Amino acid sequence: MRSFGRQCRGQGHVFVKLVRLTEGRLLALGSPITVLGPQAQQLLDQATDLQDVQRERLARELTAAMGAHEHIRKQSGRLTQGKKLSHCKIVNAYDPTIAPIIKGKSNCPVQFGRKPGLMSEPATGFIFANLVPQGNPSDPSYVLPLLDKVQRAIERVQIKPQLRVHSVAGDLGLHDAALRQAIHQRGILTVGIPKSIEPINPNPSAKEVLDILNEAGLNRQRTPHQVQLACACGYSRPVVESHIASLLSRGAGQVRYQGHPGAVLQQGMTVMAHNGATLVRIRQQRLSKRAQKFRRLLGLRHRKINEINHPKD
Amino acid sequence: MRLVRYLQHWLSDTGPRLQVTDFVPDTHPLRQWADTFPWATLVAAVEHSFAQRFPKRSPCGRAPVPVRVLLALELLKHELGASDEDICHRLRTDFAVMYACGLREYQAPRSQAHFVLPETLCEFRGRIDEALMDELIAIQAAAAMAEGLVSPAHLVVDTFPCEQGSQRVTDATTLYKAQKKPLSSSKVLPSGPAAEPSH
Repeated sequence: MRSFGRQCRGQGHVFVKLVRLTEGRLLALGSPITVLGPQAQQLLDQATDLQDVQRERLARELTAAMGAHEHIRKQSGRLTQGKKLSHCKIVNAYDPTIAPIIKGKSNCPVQFGRKPGLMSEPATGFIFANLVPQGNPSDPSYVLPLLDKVQRAIERVQIKPQLRVHSVAGDLGLHDAALRQAIHQRGILTVGIPKSIEPINPNPSAKEVLDILNEAGLNRQRTPHQVQLACACGYSRPVVESHIASLLSRGAGQVRYQGHPGAVLQQGMTVMAHNGATLVRIRQQRLSKRAQKFRRLLGLRHRKINEINHPKD
Repeated sequence: MRLVRYLQHWLSDTGPRLQVTDFVPDTHPLRQWADTFPWATLVAAVEHSFAQRFPKRSPCGRAPVPVRVLLALELLKHELGASDEDICHRLRTDFAVMYACGLREYQAPRSQAHFVLPETLCEFRGRIDEALMDELIAIQAAAAMAEGLVSPAHLVVDTFPCEQGSQRVTDATTLYKAQKKPLSSSKVLPSGPAAEPSH
């Protein structure tokens, strides 16, 4: 990762003057937009020969351009030599959506780049949804948008009974009371999100299962068997790392396309390519013993290859 | 003359039609990978999105390269770690890539579907927005769930950092190089006539 900030570790360089100089040039270049932008907006509203779709697209691009200038202008006065970089500070003059990743490292230069989130099946590594936010928001803010995406994917499936998300697991960074409550309201268990550094008990007793259900208020929605599976599944860092490593091997560690839309596209395509390889492994039964057992408990069947595109009549 | 001879096969539209599946066995990794995707649904979603956002104004012009080919090329690019140029070259010579792109016969047809310029691929990529990307992933996940291959019952969430590694030359990098260049050149050439710029 590129670094920006304290030089306690590593050989990074701080180009504060360079960033400030580039910001100044961009501000000077974009300063007329404060006058020309509203005029263009008015003219766009009055234009009758444009189609609705075209007008919407132009209005959206104009709003984005005005917002980008405002963002750079607000940030330009904040960078001070020797001080830590604040959140949402511009670090790349050509892409204001990049922000420092402040959390997660100690005693080292602040990393910056993007921080995609993913929601995957722990047994096989199939990624159901990914999210590339603008800037680097806190980890709990990823969960609900990712769950929404998974729900939209589930709604596309026509089989009965409808599939549901039973539990969500994550690291200690997701331990947030408001988030837990929001997830419980959706009928989803949060057993896999630890409350302390103590490991989650993989084999809870009947009383503990009942306590978990009562605490979540889901004793009429989720069964004890589902709680036991959620506890057995838990959260394993090596498992998640293997999913991330698969994405990194496909080039997800370095965004090569420009801007936030480019990052979204690259991460999305990488996820789809990874999912394709995962499905090949599932069909060939090239899974770990733990994953095979987990799939049996979930009632997932073994499918032969070529059945998606060439189903049997 | 060499160019015409090179392109003769393409221009005359003659020669035997080779079946791509004859050259790509069932056990080929790329064939197995390509067979996992619900292509028809994915292509329909892309075409629907493009038709809404980029309506076709005139029926004139050359027939477009099929969306199926471009979408497969974009996915293959990430699966194989290839560049735009590499993957477009491989499409012309690699039967497994042709199979993954949905081309079943190898002979230059009038549509020239297996002749894709990197610029075309770049333009196609530029049209894919966040909503469409999410829809494509949802379609893939829904197809896998419908087949009973995966279940969303228990999920795990995490994030990972990635670097914005654009290779573009920006003003900042140009300025940085310009600031460093006089220093390095002054060390190499302490005296004597100034070197000619190598542009």
